[in-house]
Amino acid sequence: MTPIIECVNLTHYYGKRLIYENLSFNVPEGRILGLLGKNGTGKTTTINILSGYLKPHSGECRIFGSDIFSMPPTMRRDIGLLLEGHVQYQFMNINQIEKFYSAFFPGQWCRDAYYGLMEKLKVSPRQMISRMSNGQRSQVALGLILAQNPKLLILDDFSLGLDPGYRRLFVEYLREYATAGNKTVFLTSHIIQDMERLIDDCIIMDYGKILIQMPVKELLNGIRRYTCNIAEGYEPELGDKFYHPGVIGNRMETYSFLELNEVETELKKRNVPYSTLKAEKIGLEDAFIGLTGKY
Amino acid sequence: MIKAIFFKEWIKTRWCFFIALVVTTGMAGYSILKINKLVSLKGAGHLWEVAVTRDALFIDMLEYVPLIVGIVLAVVQFAPEMQRKCLKLTLHLPCSQKRMIFSMLAAGLTLLLTCFIVNFGVLYACLPAIFPSQLVWRFTLSAFPWYLAGVASYLMASWIILEPTWKMRIVDITISIFVISIYFLAPAPEAYNSFLPYLTIYTFMLIVLSWISVSRFKSGKQD
Repeated sequence: MTPIIECVNLTHYYGKRLIYENLSFNVPEGRILGLLGKNGTGKTTTINILSGYLKPHSGECRIFGSDIFSMPPTMRRDIGLLLEGHVQYQFMNINQIEKFYSAFFPGQWCRDAYYGLMEKLKVSPRQMISRMSNGQRSQVALGLILAQNPKLLILDDFSLGLDPGYRRLFVEYLREYATAGNKTVFLTSHIIQDMERLIDDCIIMDYGKILIQMPVKELLNGIRRYTCNIAEGYEPELGDKFYHPGVIGNRMETYSFLELNEVETELKKRNVPYSTLKAEKIGLEDAFIGLTGKY
Repeated sequence: MIKAIFFKEWIKTRWCFFIALVVTTGMAGYSILKINKLVSLKGAGHLWEVAVTRDALFIDMLEYVPLIVGIVLAVVQFAPEMQRKCLKLTLHLPCSQKRMIFSMLAAGLTLLLTCFIVNFGVLYACLPAIFPSQLVWRFTLSAFPWYLAGVASYLMASWIILEPTWKMRIVDITISIFVISIYFLAPAPEAYNSFLPYLTIYTFMLIVLSWISVSRFKSGKQD
């Protein structure tokens, strides 16, 4: 089956600064994929390339099998785009913006999906977007995407500027909508707890490359945080099966996909002077920090 | 779709349009009042003589008005699109991007030309009562480049505002100043007569400039 999004060997520079090289990934149909990475790893760059607002230095990106820079305009009917900060036309009010967008999506526009969400906001239909809070604006942006009823949603940092209540509302609506309609979602967010509730698959990016791409369940079942006591000042060199080992005081912490007995074998093989080794299951945020490091 | 695009542009520009209409029509009306006052003081014959022998136009207070209206309209229409890169939303709509941009410009030009036509209407309604048709025609032809400058300033300001980088904006502003100065090179009445058809074509061709800025925006150019 052709993936909904297919990026092959993407390389991009800002000036002379390399953002990433030969980045390749696919997003299969009906999956919610979260792109996770620290600031500056190229999340927004990837979203900009995917939404057709940035030409990569080299490489190719296809959506629905069509090159994004030459896709016919009608194909954009099936791509919902949420810009960072829930940007929408500030000069319109709730009614005007719905009237405007609906004209571009004849036959697929679900007016009720939009107004259903607007009713929850308890704001006047003549309320200007410019006078809304970030949270209210996020609901307008989400309502418009839901009314568009696209097959693919591209959401750039959907949690930016939202309080916990609005974040939860956004995540719950989106999750329900995507699973019920077999929608494909590609998103980024700074708040990883939200991602854990929402996404099926994740791509974790480090500077210049993808660290992992796998289903979240598989990641959380596989990765462990290992802690042990160790001689103070010991500098661990554990090899590439361990992520970001660090020592604070006499306690060492590292992350790995290895089982406890395999870790013990590795530590013994390297003559690490450890004691009381413990393995812990962790959440997505800890897994992200474990894989990318704290700095 | 076109109706929806015009609807959006109307929401952005309606207040600016009404203010521009009131101000420019008011200024055209004020010019007529001034001419009427001169007629009552010195007689129409004296004004005809001054118009013929001293190249007086009597409506020269309108010279830079269309230019300013064009710039203000472009700012009101396109600055909100560049605010937080809202243009991305516009270009993401399932409509040819060229059709979208040129329809937006067509909406702006429609309002601008409406404003200018009303101006000419006021002048045409009043001037024939004071001046012979030859002089009215002379005033019209002399004022025409000013109104073309208004169209040019609108198209060039749109080009500048849609440009995504400040470096290129400065280059665009410099080019625009030179281009706009062409419309004000010759102060003598009817100085542009033989050149007017070419100037008109050249003015409306400036519409393509905005597409250059949009193409740069689409390719991700930034400071």
